[in-house]
Amino acid sequence: MAIDRQKVIDQMSKVSVEANEDGLIPAFNVLVNQWPARFWNEFSQRMVGAVDDDLKKDVEDLLINAGHECGYHTGYGIITSKEWDAVVGPMVEKTEDVLHGAFAVFTAWGWADAEIVELIPGEKMVVRAYDYYEADIAEAYPGKKSPRMSAHMINGVAAAFMDLAYGGKYDPAGKTGLYTFRGTQTKGIECGDPYGEFVILKSEHHE
Amino acid sequence: MPELKLEHKFDPKRKRHYLNDVLTVLHCHHYATLFTQLAIDAKELVEGTHILKETVEDVVFNVLSGYYKRNGITDPQERLALASQMFSTIGMGKMAVVSADVNGGEVDMPHPYVDEGWLKKWGKHKEPVNFIGSGYLCGMFSAVFDKPTRTYKATETQSKVMGAEKSHFKVAI
Repeated sequence: MAIDRQKVIDQMSKVSVEANEDGLIPAFNVLVNQWPARFWNEFSQRMVGAVDDDLKKDVEDLLINAGHECGYHTGYGIITSKEWDAVVGPMVEKTEDVLHGAFAVFTAWGWADAEIVELIPGEKMVVRAYDYYEADIAEAYPGKKSPRMSAHMINGVAAAFMDLAYGGKYDPAGKTGLYTFRGTQTKGIECGDPYGEFVILKSEHHE
Repeated sequence: MPELKLEHKFDPKRKRHYLNDVLTVLHCHHYATLFTQLAIDAKELVEGTHILKETVEDVVFNVLSGYYKRNGITDPQERLALASQMFSTIGMGKMAVVSADVNGGEVDMPHPYVDEGWLKKWGKHKEPVNFIGSGYLCGMFSAVFDKPTRTYKATETQSKVMGAEKSHFKVAI
């Protein structure tokens, strides 16, 4: 059975998160927050904007790493959750189904309307995102067009999903398994492209 | 005290979530603590922690001011209570306002999100790390007392990530 993406989105977008008596939201093996998307965008934009041109890529790489670690740990929490077992689990027959299912959940949670368009198991994945909050950064620029690609979270999370699928056993400490894959953003809605595109390769093949 | 009204919507076309018409997104403590670490590490290059504080201050000010305006909330005590409920609703922990007036105040946080996340990810730290919480308080005081942003400064005087039982903040003009 292939992943019924629309069904997963319909079901998983209804999963509600509620804070406990301490004001925290422990779920999916992590502490979840539901903050305004504008916060994440503006901090990224202000940090990248504040450093000299020769350091911008370094800051962006750290933002990608933040997404990567988030995707690795939260992604594992998602694919081992009871919600996953109930909705996506029955559709999963092989590793690649887990990846397609993970991107359906990724979409349902509001990270990006993203799906896999090319997958070579254990080697390469190409993801396209047709709408994502990180593209909203463009609104701050003349002509609503950013001079730099800014979907660092999608980039990092997509690579993390490949880590989870093909990088070996999940390591809660992140010492092994994490960063076996790396991503490159090749297109961005924020830069005027019709969609965002992310190419994920094994780390040794990543430039 | 008033109850915070919450309306959650999912836009099936754009696949986006809104809480009271504000675009929100679910993230985790790894993401929040790594953003904080980035802000700290960047201190040789930029005022990263100030950027983090001010970004949160601006966003919180807009969210709370918008809520107060839409719902006709003018009483500062009611505003404080709603801001505190919002703080917990979005998963930032729990706050107890010890004192607050237009000149500032003091706030306890028994379970601050950033500290709890940092402790879970890395353990104790030798300095305060909750710049996001500080920014929330600055934005909250400005919204509650109808002051512009950057009116208040929040200082973390006791920090859970350093081993204190709870975090404590002083807010002043």
